[in-house]
Amino acid sequence: MTNDTAIVTGAGQGFGLTLTAALAARGTTVIACARNADRLHAATSGLAGVTALPGDVTDPAFREQLVWATRGRLDLLVHNAGELGPSPLPRLERYPLDTLRAVLETTVLAPLALTQLALPLLRAAAAPTVVTLSSDAAVEAYEGWGGYGLAKAALDQMAAVLAVEEPHLRVHAFDPGDMRTAMHQRAFPGEDISDRPEPITVVPAFLRLLDDRPASGRHRAADLLVGL
Amino acid sequence: MIPAGRHPGRGRKHATGRGALGRAVTTFTLPPELEADAPPPTRDGVRLLVARSRRPLQHARFTDLPAALEPGDLLVVNTSDTEPAAVDGHRADGRPVVLHVSGPTPRAGTFLVELRTPDGRRVRDGRAGEVVHLPHGVDVELITGSRIWEARIAVEGDVRTWLAAVGRPIRYAHLRGHPPLAEYRTVFAEPTGEFASAESPSAGRPFTPAVLDGLRLRGVGIARLVLHTGVSSLEEGEVPLPERYRVPAATAVAVNATRAAGGRIVAVGTTVTRALETVADPGGTVHAGAGWTDLVLGPDRPARVVDGLVTGWHEPQASHLLLLESVAGARLVGRAYVAAVERGYRWHEFGDSCLLLPVRTAAGRTP
Repeated sequence: MTNDTAIVTGAGQGFGLTLTAALAARGTTVIACARNADRLHAATSGLAGVTALPGDVTDPAFREQLVWATRGRLDLLVHNAGELGPSPLPRLERYPLDTLRAVLETTVLAPLALTQLALPLLRAAAAPTVVTLSSDAAVEAYEGWGGYGLAKAALDQMAAVLAVEEPHLRVHAFDPGDMRTAMHQRAFPGEDISDRPEPITVVPAFLRLLDDRPASGRHRAADLLVGL
Repeated sequence: MIPAGRHPGRGRKHATGRGALGRAVTTFTLPPELEADAPPPTRDGVRLLVARSRRPLQHARFTDLPAALEPGDLLVVNTSDTEPAAVDGHRADGRPVVLHVSGPTPRAGTFLVELRTPDGRRVRDGRAGEVVHLPHGVDVELITGSRIWEARIAVEGDVRTWLAAVGRPIRYAHLRGHPPLAEYRTVFAEPTGEFASAESPSAGRPFTPAVLDGLRLRGVGIARLVLHTGVSSLEEGEVPLPERYRVPAATAVAVNATRAAGGRIVAVGTTVTRALETVADPGGTVHAGAGWTDLVLGPDRPARVVDGLVTGWHEPQASHLLLLESVAGARLVGRAYVAAVERGYRWHEFGDSCLLLPVRTAAGRTP
Protein backbone atom coordinates (compact mmCIF):
# COMPACT_ATOMS: atom_id res chain seq x y z
CA MET A 1 0.00 0.00 0.00
CA THR A 2 1.15 3.51 -0.73
CA ASN A 3 -0.17 6.98 0.03
CA ASP A 4 1.05 8.31 -3.28
CA THR A 5 -0.88 10.51 -5.63
CA ALA A 6 -0.66 9.91 -9.37
CA ILE A 7 -1.97 11.50 -12.54
CA VAL A 8 -2.65 9.12 -15.43
CA THR A 9 -3.68 10.61 -18.78
CA GLY A 10 -5.59 8.60 -21.34
CA ALA A 11 -7.09 6.49 -18.56
CA GLY A 12 -10.46 5.72 -20.14
CA GLN A 13 -9.45 2.43 -21.74
CA GLY A 14 -6.53 0.23 -22.69
CA PHE A 15 -3.25 0.41 -20.82
CA GLY A 16 -4.12 3.70 -19.09
CA LEU A 17 -7.23 2.21 -17.51
CA THR A 18 -5.49 -1.03 -16.54
CA LEU A 19 -2.64 0.92 -14.95
CA THR A 20 -5.09 3.18 -13.11
CA ALA A 21 -6.83 0.14 -11.61
CA ALA A 22 -3.51 -1.41 -10.59
CA LEU A 23 -2.26 1.79 -8.96
CA ALA A 24 -5.56 2.26 -7.12
CA ALA A 25 -5.35 -1.32 -5.88
CA ARG A 26 -1.97 -0.43 -4.31
CA GLY A 27 -3.58 2.45 -2.43
CA THR A 28 -2.39 5.18 -4.75
CA THR A 29 -4.77 8.09 -5.23
CA VAL A 30 -5.17 8.39 -8.98
CA ILE A 31 -6.37 11.42 -10.91
CA ALA A 32 -7.52 9.71 -14.10
CA CYS A 33 -8.31 11.73 -17.19
CA ALA A 34 -9.60 10.96 -20.66
CA ARG A 35 -11.46 12.80 -23.37
CA ASN A 36 -14.57 10.60 -23.40
CA ALA A 37 -16.40 11.47 -20.19
CA ASP A 38 -18.98 8.67 -20.32
CA ARG A 39 -16.40 6.02 -20.95
CA LEU A 40 -14.07 7.36 -18.25
CA HIS A 41 -16.80 7.50 -15.62
CA ALA A 42 -18.08 4.06 -16.52
CA ALA A 43 -14.58 2.58 -16.49
CA THR A 44 -13.47 4.08 -13.17
CA SER A 45 -16.73 4.18 -11.21
CA GLY A 46 -15.94 1.04 -9.20
CA LEU A 47 -12.35 2.01 -8.41
CA ALA A 48 -11.73 3.36 -4.91
CA GLY A 49 -9.31 6.26 -4.72
CA VAL A 50 -9.73 7.23 -8.36
CA THR A 51 -10.86 10.72 -9.29
CA ALA A 52 -12.19 10.72 -12.84
CA LEU A 53 -11.61 14.04 -14.58
CA PRO A 54 -12.83 14.09 -18.17
CA GLY A 55 -11.07 16.53 -20.47
CA ASP A 56 -8.49 17.09 -23.16
CA VAL A 57 -4.84 17.40 -22.12
CA THR A 58 -4.24 19.80 -25.00
CA ASP A 59 -6.48 22.34 -23.20
CA PRO A 60 -4.39 24.53 -20.86
CA ALA A 61 -7.31 25.12 -18.49
CA PHE A 62 -7.86 21.39 -18.21
CA ARG A 63 -4.20 20.78 -17.39
CA GLU A 64 -4.51 23.35 -14.62
CA GLN A 65 -7.55 21.48 -13.31
CA LEU A 66 -5.66 18.17 -13.37
CA VAL A 67 -2.80 19.52 -11.29
CA TRP A 68 -5.20 21.18 -8.88
CA ALA A 69 -7.06 17.91 -8.37
CA THR A 70 -3.93 16.56 -6.66
CA ARG A 71 -4.42 19.13 -3.89
CA GLY A 72 -0.75 19.91 -4.07
CA ARG A 73 0.70 16.43 -3.78
CA LEU A 74 2.01 14.48 -6.75
CA ASP A 75 4.36 11.49 -6.73
CA LEU A 76 3.76 9.96 -10.15
CA LEU A 77 2.89 11.53 -13.48
CA VAL A 78 2.08 9.13 -16.33
CA HIS A 79 1.85 10.60 -19.82
CA ASN A 80 -0.14 7.79 -21.34
CA ALA A 81 -2.46 9.80 -23.62
CA GLY A 82 -1.24 9.74 -27.20
CA GLU A 83 -2.58 10.21 -30.67
CA LEU A 84 -2.01 7.54 -33.30
CA GLY A 85 -2.95 9.69 -36.28
CA PRO A 86 -4.97 8.60 -39.30
CA SER A 87 -6.08 5.01 -39.71
CA PRO A 88 -4.90 3.32 -41.82
CA LEU A 89 -1.47 4.80 -41.15
CA PRO A 90 -0.36 6.98 -44.08
CA ARG A 91 3.11 7.04 -45.62
CA LEU A 92 5.09 10.23 -44.96
CA GLU A 93 4.78 11.09 -48.66
CA ARG A 94 1.13 11.95 -48.12
CA TYR A 95 1.01 12.52 -44.36
CA PRO A 96 -1.54 15.30 -43.70
CA LEU A 97 0.39 18.02 -41.90
CA ASP A 98 -2.56 19.33 -39.92
CA THR A 99 -3.06 15.84 -38.54
CA LEU A 100 0.61 15.61 -37.68
CA ARG A 101 0.34 18.88 -35.78
CA ALA A 102 -2.52 17.39 -33.78
CA VAL A 103 -0.50 14.22 -33.13
CA LEU A 104 2.41 16.32 -31.83
CA GLU A 105 0.09 18.51 -29.78
CA THR A 106 -1.35 15.54 -27.91
CA THR A 107 1.70 13.31 -27.79
CA VAL A 108 4.52 15.80 -27.15
CA LEU A 109 3.41 19.33 -26.32
CA ALA A 110 0.62 18.45 -23.89
CA PRO A 111 2.89 16.16 -21.81
CA LEU A 112 5.55 18.85 -21.69
CA ALA A 113 3.03 21.51 -20.68
CA LEU A 114 1.54 19.28 -17.99
CA THR A 115 5.02 18.44 -16.71
CA GLN A 116 5.81 22.15 -16.48
CA LEU A 117 2.75 22.74 -14.31
CA ALA A 118 3.42 19.69 -12.16
CA LEU A 119 7.15 20.21 -11.57
CA PRO A 120 6.83 22.18 -8.32
CA LEU A 121 4.74 19.35 -6.88
CA LEU A 122 7.06 16.65 -8.15
CA ARG A 123 10.13 18.42 -6.80
CA ALA A 124 8.49 18.51 -3.39
CA ALA A 125 7.72 14.77 -3.42
CA ALA A 126 9.99 12.24 -1.69
CA ALA A 127 10.33 9.87 -4.62
CA PRO A 128 8.85 11.52 -7.70
CA THR A 129 8.52 9.68 -10.99
CA VAL A 130 7.50 10.80 -14.47
CA VAL A 131 6.74 8.16 -17.09
CA THR A 132 6.15 8.77 -20.77
CA LEU A 133 4.64 6.00 -22.86
CA SER A 134 6.97 5.04 -25.69
CA SER A 135 6.82 2.60 -28.58
CA ASP A 136 9.26 0.65 -30.64
CA ALA A 137 8.12 2.95 -33.44
CA ALA A 138 10.15 5.65 -31.66
CA VAL A 139 13.41 3.83 -32.36
CA GLU A 140 12.64 1.54 -35.33
CA ALA A 141 11.60 2.64 -38.82
CA TYR A 142 8.30 1.05 -39.83
CA GLU A 143 6.48 2.01 -42.99
CA GLY A 144 3.42 4.12 -42.14
CA TRP A 145 4.55 4.78 -38.59
CA GLY A 146 6.42 8.00 -39.43
CA GLY A 147 4.00 10.43 -37.79
CA TYR A 148 3.43 8.45 -34.61
CA GLY A 149 7.06 7.37 -34.49
CA LEU A 150 8.53 10.84 -34.75
CA ALA A 151 6.16 12.06 -32.06
CA LYS A 152 7.14 9.21 -29.73
CA ALA A 153 10.83 9.79 -30.52
CA ALA A 154 10.38 13.42 -29.51
CA LEU A 155 8.63 12.34 -26.32
CA ASP A 156 11.48 9.92 -25.54
CA GLN A 157 13.95 12.76 -25.92
CA MET A 158 11.85 15.03 -23.75
CA ALA A 159 11.99 12.40 -21.01
CA ALA A 160 15.74 11.99 -21.44
CA VAL A 161 16.47 15.70 -21.20
CA LEU A 162 14.07 16.18 -18.30
CA ALA A 163 15.94 13.45 -16.43
CA VAL A 164 19.18 15.38 -16.86
CA GLU A 165 17.66 18.69 -15.87
CA GLU A 166 15.77 17.30 -12.85
CA PRO A 167 18.10 14.84 -11.13
CA HIS A 168 15.71 14.53 -8.14
CA LEU A 169 13.13 12.94 -10.44
CA ARG A 170 13.10 9.52 -12.03
CA VAL A 171 12.03 10.06 -15.63
CA HIS A 172 11.34 6.98 -17.70
CA ALA A 173 10.29 6.38 -21.28
CA PHE A 174 8.37 3.14 -20.95
CA ASP A 175 7.86 0.97 -24.03
CA PRO A 176 5.06 -1.49 -23.25
CA GLY A 177 5.40 -3.38 -26.53
CA ASP A 178 2.41 -4.32 -28.68
CA MET A 179 -0.82 -4.69 -26.73
CA ARG A 180 -4.37 -5.68 -27.56
CA THR A 181 -5.84 -2.18 -27.38
CA ALA A 182 -8.18 0.02 -29.39
CA MET A 183 -5.24 2.12 -30.53
CA HIS A 184 -3.36 -0.91 -31.76
CA GLN A 185 -6.46 -2.07 -33.62
CA ARG A 186 -6.68 1.34 -35.33
CA ALA A 187 -3.12 0.87 -36.52
CA PHE A 188 -4.13 -2.43 -38.11
CA PRO A 189 -7.73 -1.85 -39.19
CA GLY A 190 -9.60 -5.04 -40.01
CA GLU A 191 -6.74 -7.29 -38.94
CA ASP A 192 -6.81 -9.84 -36.18
CA ILE A 193 -4.67 -8.62 -33.23
CA SER A 194 -5.82 -11.26 -30.77
CA ASP A 195 -2.28 -12.65 -30.63
CA ARG A 196 -1.12 -9.42 -28.90
CA PRO A 197 -0.93 -9.58 -25.09
CA GLU A 198 -3.53 -7.86 -22.92
CA PRO A 199 -2.45 -4.62 -21.21
CA ILE A 200 -2.75 -6.31 -17.79
CA THR A 201 0.30 -8.45 -18.61
CA VAL A 202 2.41 -5.30 -19.00
CA VAL A 203 1.41 -3.62 -15.74
CA PRO A 204 3.87 -5.62 -13.56
CA ALA A 205 6.71 -4.26 -15.69
CA PHE A 206 5.50 -0.73 -15.11
CA LEU A 207 5.23 -1.26 -11.35
CA ARG A 208 8.88 -2.35 -11.24
CA LEU A 209 9.78 1.18 -12.29
CA LEU A 210 8.10 2.39 -9.10
CA ASP A 211 9.25 -0.35 -6.77
CA ASP A 212 12.86 -0.83 -7.93
CA ARG A 213 13.40 2.81 -8.93
CA PRO A 214 15.96 2.07 -11.65
CA ALA A 215 17.96 4.96 -13.09
CA SER A 216 16.10 7.27 -15.42
CA GLY A 217 16.05 6.00 -18.97
CA ARG A 218 14.20 4.18 -21.70
CA HIS A 219 12.83 0.83 -20.54
CA ARG A 220 11.10 -1.93 -22.48
CA ALA A 221 8.42 -3.89 -20.63
CA ALA A 222 9.91 -7.14 -21.89
CA ASP A 223 13.26 -6.34 -20.26
CA LEU A 224 11.68 -5.26 -16.97
CA LEU A 225 9.66 -8.48 -16.81
CA VAL A 226 12.78 -10.65 -16.96
CA GLY A 227 13.17 -12.37 -13.60
CA LEU A 228 9.68 -11.56 -12.42
CA MET B 1 -6.72 59.52 7.64
CA ILE B 2 -10.46 59.44 7.95
CA PRO B 3 -11.66 56.10 9.29
CA ALA B 4 -14.70 54.43 7.88
CA GLY B 5 -17.85 56.34 8.58
CA ARG B 6 -21.27 56.76 7.16
CA HIS B 7 -21.22 60.43 6.25
CA PRO B 8 -18.04 61.41 4.50
CA GLY B 9 -17.33 65.08 4.08
CA ARG B 10 -16.21 64.84 0.52
CA GLY B 11 -18.27 64.30 -2.56
CA ARG B 12 -21.73 65.39 -3.46
CA LYS B 13 -25.08 64.57 -2.01
CA HIS B 14 -26.31 61.02 -2.38
CA ALA B 15 -27.23 60.46 -6.01
CA THR B 16 -30.83 59.55 -6.61
CA GLY B 17 -32.96 58.48 -9.53
CA ARG B 18 -32.71 55.81 -12.14
CA GLY B 19 -29.25 54.41 -12.71
CA ALA B 20 -27.82 56.08 -9.65
CA LEU B 21 -25.46 54.14 -7.49
CA GLY B 22 -25.64 53.65 -3.75
CA ARG B 23 -22.87 54.89 -1.54
CA ALA B 24 -20.16 52.68 -0.11
CA VAL B 25 -19.80 52.67 3.65
CA THR B 26 -16.03 52.74 3.35
CA THR B 27 -14.57 56.19 2.86
CA PHE B 28 -11.03 57.43 3.05
CA THR B 29 -8.75 60.14 1.77
CA LEU B 30 -5.84 58.98 -0.33
CA PRO B 31 -2.61 60.83 0.47
CA PRO B 32 -0.84 61.59 -2.85
CA GLU B 33 2.39 59.96 -1.66
CA LEU B 34 0.62 56.60 -1.57
CA GLU B 35 -0.06 56.62 -5.30
CA ALA B 36 2.27 54.18 -7.05
CA ASP B 37 3.75 56.31 -9.83
CA ALA B 38 5.72 53.57 -11.63
CA PRO B 39 5.87 49.78 -11.91
CA PRO B 40 7.58 48.10 -8.90
CA PRO B 41 10.98 46.43 -9.42
CA THR B 42 9.38 42.97 -9.34
CA ARG B 43 5.73 42.13 -9.82
CA ASP B 44 5.40 39.71 -6.94
CA GLY B 45 7.51 41.84 -4.61
CA VAL B 46 4.59 44.14 -3.82
CA ARG B 47 2.96 44.04 -0.39
CA LEU B 48 -0.10 41.95 0.38
CA LEU B 49 -2.46 42.86 3.18
CA VAL B 50 -4.36 39.76 4.29
CA ALA B 51 -7.67 40.76 5.82
CA ARG B 52 -9.82 38.09 7.46
CA SER B 53 -12.91 38.97 9.46
CA ARG B 54 -12.46 38.75 13.23
CA ARG B 55 -8.74 38.11 12.83
CA PRO B 56 -5.75 40.44 13.06
CA LEU B 57 -4.64 41.89 9.76
CA GLN B 58 -1.45 40.40 8.33
CA HIS B 59 1.09 42.50 6.48
CA ALA B 60 2.77 40.19 4.01
CA ARG B 61 4.29 40.05 0.54
CA PHE B 62 2.48 38.93 -2.57
CA THR B 63 4.69 35.83 -2.63
CA ASP B 64 2.91 34.83 0.61
CA LEU B 65 -0.43 34.52 -1.20
CA PRO B 66 -0.32 30.69 -1.44
CA ALA B 67 0.21 30.36 2.31
CA ALA B 68 -2.72 32.70 2.99
CA LEU B 69 -5.10 30.39 1.11
CA GLU B 70 -6.16 26.83 1.88
CA PRO B 71 -5.84 23.66 -0.18
CA GLY B 72 -9.05 23.26 -2.12
CA ASP B 73 -9.59 27.00 -2.63
CA LEU B 74 -10.05 28.16 -6.22
CA LEU B 75 -8.63 31.40 -7.60
CA VAL B 76 -10.50 32.72 -10.63
CA VAL B 77 -8.52 35.00 -12.92
CA ASN B 78 -9.29 37.28 -15.88
CA THR B 79 -7.42 36.46 -19.10
CA SER B 80 -8.43 39.68 -20.85
CA ASP B 81 -5.53 41.35 -22.60
CA THR B 82 -4.85 45.10 -22.47
CA GLU B 83 -5.21 47.28 -25.57
CA PRO B 84 -3.05 50.32 -26.40
CA ALA B 85 -6.29 52.27 -26.18
CA ALA B 86 -5.01 55.88 -25.93
CA VAL B 87 -4.40 57.91 -29.10
CA ASP B 88 -3.25 61.51 -29.63
CA GLY B 89 -5.38 63.65 -31.91
CA HIS B 90 -6.84 67.10 -32.55
CA ARG B 91 -10.31 68.48 -32.12
CA ALA B 92 -12.08 70.32 -34.93
CA ASP B 93 -10.77 73.66 -33.63
CA GLY B 94 -7.21 72.40 -33.59
CA ARG B 95 -6.84 71.84 -29.85
CA PRO B 96 -4.81 68.73 -29.04
CA VAL B 97 -6.75 65.93 -27.35
CA VAL B 98 -6.18 62.35 -26.20
CA LEU B 99 -8.81 59.80 -27.17
CA HIS B 100 -9.36 56.84 -24.84
CA VAL B 101 -11.17 53.95 -26.56
CA SER B 102 -13.16 52.17 -23.87
CA GLY B 103 -14.36 49.40 -26.18
CA PRO B 104 -17.18 48.41 -28.48
CA THR B 105 -20.80 49.08 -27.59
CA PRO B 106 -23.56 46.46 -27.74
CA ARG B 107 -24.57 48.23 -30.97
CA ALA B 108 -22.40 46.94 -33.78
CA GLY B 109 -19.98 49.39 -35.33
CA THR B 110 -19.73 51.99 -32.59
CA PHE B 111 -17.32 52.42 -29.71
CA LEU B 112 -17.37 54.15 -26.36
CA VAL B 113 -14.65 56.77 -26.14
CA GLU B 114 -13.53 59.40 -23.67
CA LEU B 115 -11.73 62.63 -24.49
CA ARG B 116 -8.91 63.86 -22.27
CA THR B 117 -6.63 66.85 -22.43
CA PRO B 118 -2.94 66.11 -23.05
CA ASP B 119 -2.29 66.69 -19.32
CA GLY B 120 -4.96 64.18 -18.35
CA ARG B 121 -7.98 66.30 -17.45
CA ARG B 122 -11.48 65.37 -18.51
CA VAL B 123 -12.86 67.13 -21.58
CA ARG B 124 -16.37 68.27 -20.80
CA ASP B 125 -17.25 70.45 -23.79
CA GLY B 126 -17.49 67.77 -26.49
CA ARG B 127 -20.57 68.05 -28.69
CA ALA B 128 -22.64 65.54 -30.61
CA GLY B 129 -21.51 65.54 -34.22
CA GLU B 130 -18.01 66.77 -33.34
CA VAL B 131 -15.24 65.08 -35.29
CA VAL B 132 -11.84 64.35 -33.74
CA HIS B 133 -8.88 63.88 -36.10
CA LEU B 134 -6.49 61.05 -35.32
CA PRO B 135 -3.34 59.56 -36.89
CA HIS B 136 -3.44 57.76 -40.25
CA GLY B 137 -6.27 60.04 -41.36
CA VAL B 138 -8.78 58.39 -39.04
CA ASP B 139 -11.72 60.53 -37.93
CA VAL B 140 -13.87 59.82 -34.91
CA GLU B 141 -17.38 61.24 -34.79
CA LEU B 142 -19.04 61.71 -31.40
CA ILE B 143 -22.65 60.51 -31.61
CA THR B 144 -24.26 60.61 -28.19
CA GLY B 145 -23.01 61.06 -24.65
CA SER B 146 -21.62 63.77 -22.45
CA ARG B 147 -18.24 62.89 -21.02
CA ILE B 148 -18.09 59.32 -22.27
CA TRP B 149 -19.34 59.19 -25.85
CA GLU B 150 -20.68 56.62 -28.19
CA ALA B 151 -18.64 57.28 -31.32
CA ARG B 152 -17.97 56.05 -34.80
CA ILE B 153 -14.30 55.34 -35.57
CA ALA B 154 -13.84 55.68 -39.34
CA VAL B 155 -11.07 53.16 -39.77
CA GLU B 156 -10.74 50.62 -42.53
CA GLY B 157 -10.50 47.12 -41.11
CA ASP B 158 -9.99 46.33 -37.43
CA VAL B 159 -9.75 49.14 -34.90
CA ARG B 160 -7.23 46.99 -33.00
CA THR B 161 -4.83 46.92 -35.94
CA TRP B 162 -4.96 50.69 -36.11
CA LEU B 163 -4.50 51.05 -32.35
CA ALA B 164 -1.54 48.67 -32.46
CA ALA B 165 0.12 51.15 -34.83
CA VAL B 166 -0.83 54.46 -33.20
CA GLY B 167 -2.00 53.74 -29.64
CA ARG B 168 -0.42 53.44 -26.22
CA PRO B 169 -1.75 52.28 -22.85
CA ILE B 170 -4.22 54.57 -21.14
CA ARG B 171 -2.47 56.32 -18.28
CA TYR B 172 -3.58 58.76 -15.65
CA ALA B 173 -1.84 61.65 -13.96
CA HIS B 174 -0.50 59.67 -10.98
CA LEU B 175 2.10 57.96 -13.20
CA ARG B 176 5.53 59.51 -13.66
CA GLY B 177 6.50 58.01 -17.01
CA HIS B 178 4.91 56.02 -19.80
CA PRO B 179 5.29 52.32 -18.94
CA PRO B 180 5.14 50.12 -22.05
CA LEU B 181 2.16 47.89 -22.76
CA ALA B 182 4.06 44.82 -21.52
CA GLU B 183 4.00 46.31 -18.00
CA TYR B 184 0.21 46.40 -18.07
CA ARG B 185 -0.38 42.89 -19.38
CA THR B 186 -0.89 40.23 -16.73
CA VAL B 187 0.67 36.79 -16.80
CA PHE B 188 -2.81 35.49 -17.61
CA ALA B 189 -3.42 37.70 -20.65
CA GLU B 190 -4.54 35.81 -23.73
CA PRO B 191 -5.18 37.74 -26.94
CA THR B 192 -8.45 36.56 -28.48
CA GLY B 193 -8.87 38.72 -31.58
CA GLU B 194 -11.68 40.72 -30.00
CA PHE B 195 -11.21 44.17 -28.54
CA ALA B 196 -9.82 43.40 -25.07
CA SER B 197 -9.62 45.65 -22.00
CA ALA B 198 -9.13 49.39 -22.33
CA GLU B 199 -7.32 49.28 -19.01
CA SER B 200 -5.42 46.40 -17.47
CA PRO B 201 -7.30 44.00 -15.19
CA SER B 202 -4.57 44.94 -12.76
CA ALA B 203 -5.46 42.74 -9.77
CA GLY B 204 -3.73 39.95 -11.70
CA ARG B 205 -0.59 41.97 -12.26
CA PRO B 206 1.44 40.76 -9.21
CA PHE B 207 1.08 37.12 -10.27
CA THR B 208 4.28 35.52 -11.57
CA PRO B 209 5.16 31.98 -12.62
CA ALA B 210 6.75 31.50 -9.18
CA VAL B 211 3.54 32.51 -7.40
CA LEU B 212 1.54 30.20 -9.65
CA ASP B 213 3.87 27.32 -8.83
CA GLY B 214 3.41 28.09 -5.15
CA LEU B 215 -0.36 28.01 -5.54
CA ARG B 216 -0.24 24.62 -7.26
CA LEU B 217 2.00 23.30 -4.54
CA ARG B 218 -0.43 24.59 -1.94
CA GLY B 219 -3.31 22.79 -3.67
CA VAL B 220 -5.02 26.00 -4.72
CA GLY B 221 -6.71 25.84 -8.13
CA ILE B 222 -6.74 28.41 -10.89
CA ALA B 223 -9.67 28.87 -13.26
CA ARG B 224 -10.01 31.39 -16.04
CA LEU B 225 -12.66 33.66 -17.43
CA VAL B 226 -12.76 36.76 -19.59
CA LEU B 227 -14.15 40.16 -18.78
CA HIS B 228 -13.07 43.00 -21.05
CA THR B 229 -13.08 46.11 -18.95
CA GLY B 230 -13.70 49.63 -20.18
CA VAL B 231 -12.21 52.90 -18.97
CA SER B 232 -12.14 53.24 -15.20
CA SER B 233 -12.63 56.98 -15.08
CA LEU B 234 -16.13 56.90 -13.70
CA GLU B 235 -17.20 59.76 -11.50
CA GLU B 236 -18.87 59.35 -8.15
CA GLY B 237 -22.38 57.98 -8.50
CA GLU B 238 -21.89 56.88 -12.10
CA VAL B 239 -23.04 53.36 -12.82
CA PRO B 240 -20.32 51.02 -14.16
CA LEU B 241 -20.37 50.58 -17.94
CA PRO B 242 -21.75 47.40 -19.47
CA GLU B 243 -18.87 45.01 -20.17
CA ARG B 244 -18.34 41.84 -22.23
CA TYR B 245 -17.68 38.60 -20.37
CA ARG B 246 -17.23 34.91 -21.08
CA VAL B 247 -17.28 32.19 -18.42
CA PRO B 248 -16.21 28.84 -19.94
CA ALA B 249 -17.91 25.60 -19.00
CA ALA B 250 -14.74 24.24 -17.38
CA THR B 251 -14.62 27.25 -15.06
CA ALA B 252 -18.28 26.88 -14.10
CA VAL B 253 -17.67 23.21 -13.32
CA ALA B 254 -14.58 24.02 -11.24
CA VAL B 255 -16.39 26.74 -9.28
CA ASN B 256 -19.39 24.56 -8.50
CA ALA B 257 -17.21 21.58 -7.57
CA THR B 258 -15.11 23.78 -5.28
CA ARG B 259 -18.14 25.04 -3.42
CA ALA B 260 -19.61 21.56 -3.15
CA ALA B 261 -16.35 20.39 -1.57
CA GLY B 262 -16.29 23.27 0.90
CA GLY B 263 -13.55 25.29 -0.83
CA ARG B 264 -13.65 29.02 -1.33
CA ILE B 265 -14.01 30.97 -4.57
CA VAL B 266 -11.45 33.77 -4.54
CA ALA B 267 -11.86 36.24 -7.38
CA VAL B 268 -8.77 38.02 -8.66
CA GLY B 269 -10.16 41.49 -9.13
CA THR B 270 -13.47 43.25 -9.40
CA THR B 271 -13.71 42.23 -13.07
CA VAL B 272 -13.74 38.54 -12.17
CA THR B 273 -16.26 39.19 -9.43
CA ARG B 274 -18.59 40.96 -11.84
CA ALA B 275 -18.37 38.14 -14.39
CA LEU B 276 -18.83 35.32 -11.88
CA GLU B 277 -21.74 37.00 -10.15
CA THR B 278 -23.35 37.66 -13.53
CA VAL B 279 -23.57 33.91 -14.19
CA ALA B 280 -24.41 32.90 -10.60
CA ASP B 281 -28.01 31.93 -9.97
CA PRO B 282 -29.70 32.86 -6.65
CA GLY B 283 -28.53 29.57 -5.12
CA GLY B 284 -24.90 30.40 -5.89
CA THR B 285 -24.54 27.88 -8.71
CA VAL B 286 -22.53 29.19 -11.64
CA HIS B 287 -23.47 28.56 -15.28
CA ALA B 288 -21.24 28.96 -18.32
CA GLY B 289 -22.17 31.98 -20.34
CA ALA B 290 -21.08 34.93 -22.42
CA GLY B 291 -22.45 38.32 -23.34
CA TRP B 292 -22.77 41.80 -21.90
CA THR B 293 -23.19 42.39 -18.20
CA ASP B 294 -24.59 45.48 -16.54
CA LEU B 295 -24.57 43.89 -13.11
CA VAL B 296 -23.85 46.23 -10.23
CA LEU B 297 -23.14 44.60 -6.90
CA GLY B 298 -24.16 46.39 -3.78
CA PRO B 299 -26.50 46.20 -0.80
CA ASP B 300 -29.41 45.29 -3.10
CA ARG B 301 -27.47 42.59 -4.87
CA PRO B 302 -24.90 40.96 -2.58
CA ALA B 303 -22.35 38.46 -3.88
CA ARG B 304 -23.69 34.94 -4.27
CA VAL B 305 -20.66 32.91 -5.20
CA VAL B 306 -17.47 34.91 -4.61
CA ASP B 307 -16.08 34.22 -1.13
CA GLY B 308 -12.97 36.34 -1.26
CA LEU B 309 -11.00 38.77 -3.38
CA VAL B 310 -7.45 39.50 -4.41
CA THR B 311 -7.55 43.16 -5.32
CA GLY B 312 -5.48 46.26 -5.73
CA TRP B 313 -6.17 49.40 -3.75
CA HIS B 314 -8.95 51.41 -5.28
CA GLU B 315 -9.70 55.08 -5.33
CA PRO B 316 -12.40 56.32 -3.01
CA GLN B 317 -14.98 55.79 -5.72
CA ALA B 318 -18.32 54.21 -5.10
CA SER B 319 -18.66 51.33 -7.52
CA HIS B 320 -15.46 49.50 -6.68
CA LEU B 321 -15.89 49.87 -2.95
CA LEU B 322 -19.53 48.81 -3.14
CA LEU B 323 -18.42 45.69 -4.94
CA LEU B 324 -15.75 44.94 -2.32
CA GLU B 325 -18.27 45.48 0.46
CA SER B 326 -20.77 43.20 -1.23
CA VAL B 327 -18.22 40.38 -1.05
CA ALA B 328 -16.31 41.11 2.13
CA GLY B 329 -18.66 43.27 4.16
CA ALA B 330 -18.22 46.93 4.99
CA ARG B 331 -16.48 46.29 8.30
CA LEU B 332 -13.68 44.19 6.85
CA VAL B 333 -13.18 46.48 3.85
CA GLY B 334 -13.10 49.48 6.18
CA ARG B 335 -10.49 47.86 8.46
CA ALA B 336 -8.34 46.99 5.46
CA TYR B 337 -8.44 50.49 3.97
CA VAL B 338 -7.74 52.18 7.31
CA ALA B 339 -4.71 49.96 7.81
CA ALA B 340 -3.51 50.37 4.23
CA VAL B 341 -3.42 54.14 4.54
CA GLU B 342 -1.78 54.00 7.98
CA ARG B 343 0.84 51.53 6.84
CA GLY B 344 1.62 53.28 3.58
CA TYR B 345 0.38 50.70 1.11
CA ARG B 346 0.64 51.88 -2.48
CA TRP B 347 -2.40 52.53 -4.63
CA HIS B 348 -3.41 52.00 -8.28
CA GLU B 349 -2.45 49.58 -11.06
CA PHE B 350 1.23 49.31 -10.09
CA GLY B 351 0.64 49.36 -6.36
CA ASP B 352 0.24 46.84 -3.56
CA SER B 353 -2.36 44.12 -3.18
CA CYS B 354 -4.99 42.97 -0.72
CA LEU B 355 -6.56 39.60 0.04
CA LEU B 356 -10.03 39.95 1.51
CA LEU B 357 -11.30 36.77 3.18
CA PRO B 358 -14.59 37.24 4.97
CA VAL B 359 -15.79 34.36 7.12
CA ARG B 360 -18.70 32.46 5.68
CA THR B 361 -21.39 31.74 8.21
CA ALA B 362 -24.63 29.84 8.02
CA ALA B 363 -26.47 33.13 8.28
CA GLY B 364 -24.51 34.62 5.40
CA ARG B 365 -21.53 36.88 5.28
CA THR B 366 -20.28 38.79 8.26
CA PRO B 367 -21.28 42.45 8.23
